[in-house]
Amino acid sequence: MKNLALWIGAALVMAAAPFFLGEYHGDLYRKLLLWIALALSYNFLFGISGQVTFSHFAFYGLGAYGAVILVVKAGWPLALAVPAGVLVCAAVALAVAIPATRLEGFYLALATLAFGQLFIVVLNEGGALTGGTGGLANYHLPKIAGFDLTGRPYTAVIVVLVLGTAALLRRLDHSWFGRACRAVRDNPEAAAAMGVNVARTKVAAFALTSALAGVAGMAYAFVDNTVNPPIFGLENAFLLLFMVIIGGAGRHAGAVLGAVLLYLLPFGLSPLIGHHHALVFGVLMVAAILLQPRGLIGLWDRFSR
Amino acid sequence: MGPILEVSGLTKRFGGLTAVDGLGFELRDGEILGVIGPNGAGKTTTFSIIAGALAPTSGAVRFRGEPITGMPPHAIAARGLLRTFQHNRPFAGMPVLDNILVGAHTRFSKSPWRVFSASAGREEQESRQRAEALIDFVGLAEARAADVATLSFGQGRLLEIARALAGEPRLILLDEPAAGLTPAECERLAGIVRGIAARGIAVLLIEHDMRFLLPLAQRVVVLNFGRKIADGAPDAVRNDPAVRDAYLGEHAAR
Repeated sequence: MKNLALWIGAALVMAAAPFFLGEYHGDLYRKLLLWIALALSYNFLFGISGQVTFSHFAFYGLGAYGAVILVVKAGWPLALAVPAGVLVCAAVALAVAIPATRLEGFYLALATLAFGQLFIVVLNEGGALTGGTGGLANYHLPKIAGFDLTGRPYTAVIVVLVLGTAALLRRLDHSWFGRACRAVRDNPEAAAAMGVNVARTKVAAFALTSALAGVAGMAYAFVDNTVNPPIFGLENAFLLLFMVIIGGAGRHAGAVLGAVLLYLLPFGLSPLIGHHHALVFGVLMVAAILLQPRGLIGLWDRFSR
Repeated sequence: MGPILEVSGLTKRFGGLTAVDGLGFELRDGEILGVIGPNGAGKTTTFSIIAGALAPTSGAVRFRGEPITGMPPHAIAARGLLRTFQHNRPFAGMPVLDNILVGAHTRFSKSPWRVFSASAGREEQESRQRAEALIDFVGLAEARAADVATLSFGQGRLLEIARALAGEPRLILLDEPAAGLTPAECERLAGIVRGIAARGIAVLLIEHDMRFLLPLAQRVVVLNFGRKIADGAPDAVRNDPAVRDAYLGEHAAR
C-alpha cells in the first residue's frame, strides 16, 4: 500500500511538471520520458536478457504508425484502436522473436538490424498508408470523453506509460522470470540444467520488451502529431544502446540515468561544439567500456558505499 | 517400490569410438550410488546422457518409471533430476542468493497473469527463505554477500550443490564433486552428501577418486572402456580383481 502511494505520488508530480515548464521545455520533457520508457525496455532485453538487438526502434515505429493508421486513417474509436494496436505490436514482436532468438550474439544483432532496415524501407515505400518518405502529419488525437488531451495534459498518458513500464519490468526482474533471463544470459547450459527453457525465455523477453517499445510508439504518435521514417532508423537504435551501456546495462536505474544524460547532453553541448555531440558520445562509450563496464550506476554504487 | 533411476543397454558411439557400451544399472530411492572408472571409462558421457545434454546411440534411461531418453535438459530438471557441473558454471552476473533461486526455477508457478499478485510475492519470499537455509546447509554463509566471480573454487562447488538442491530434486547428479578440492573441503563435501541422502534425496556421484568415493557410497558401479566391470558394495568392489586390474594395471593385480 505504501508502495502504491509512492507510485501514485510520483505519477502526479511527473504529470504536473510540464505546467511549470514552457511550451518548448514541456515538449522536450515528454520526449525524454519516452526515451526513458524505451531505455527501460531495451535494458531488459539487452542488459538483463543479454540479447543484442537493433530492432527496438522498428517496434517503436510499428506502434506509432499503427496508432495513426488505426485511429486517424481507419477512424477506429480509441477504446478499440488502443487494444488492437497493442495486439498488433505483440503479434509482430512474437513473429520476429521466434526465428530471431534462435540466433546468438553477432548474428542476432545482424538479423534484427536487417529487420529494422526492412521496416524503414516499408515505411518509405508504403504509399498513402504510411505517407512515404514524408510520413504522416496534421492529424489529431480524438477527444476522450469530451477532453482534448493534446499538449500538456497528454503528459499524463506518457507518465502512465513510463511508470507502467518501470513497474512491470521491475516486478518481472525480481521474479523467476527475471532470474531466468539473467541465467540464460550468463550461462545458458547451466540455466537449462536448472529447468529453464532457454529458447522460450529468450522469445518471451524479446517479444515482451519489443511489444513495450510498440506501446511507447503508440504514445509517441500523438506527441508531435507527426510520424516520419528517420525517427525510427538506426541512428536512434544506436543511441538507445549507448544510453543503456553508459548508464549501466542490466540496471533499471542505469537505463534511466543513461537516457537522461544522453538525451540532455546535446542541448548542453551545442553552444560549445555545435552538432558534433556524436563525437562526445563515442568517447563516453569507449570510456564506459574500458573504465567502467557497469556504467554510471556502477560509479554511483562505488561512491555511495 | 521400483528403482528411481534405471539405465539399460546404454550405448554411445562417437564415430568409431564406443564411449559407452551396453551399460545398465539401477539406483534406488534415497541411495548414494557411485560410478567410478579410470579416465576415459565413459563416466562423463553416461552422466551427460542421463542429464539430457547428450543423446545416446541406443538404450534407455527411465526416471521414476518414465522414459527420459532424448528429453531436453530443462524437461528432465523439471521432473526432479538436477545436476552439478564438474567445472563450476555459476551465473556470474548474479548474487549468490539469486544463483540458488535459479535452481528453484521449476518450483515457481509460471502463470503470467499473477505477476502482480500478492501470492507471487509470498512465493518469492518463501523461496528466498529456503535458499537462505540452503546457504547454511552447504556452509556458504560467509560468502553470502560476495560477488559470485570472487568465490574460491571450493565455494563455487558448494554453490553448484546448493543451486541444484533448490530445485527440490528426487535425484541429484554430482559430476566429480571432489575434483579440485582440498582434503579438508573433501571431508566437508562428504558430510554434505550424507546430509543430502538423509533428506531422502537419491545421489548419483561420478568420481574417479576412489578414496573419496568408497567410504561415502552405499553401492558402486565400476566402468572401464565404456563397459560395466563391477557393481556392488564398496568393500566387494575394492577387492574385485577386475577393478584392481583396471585401476592399477595387470602387474599389481597379480
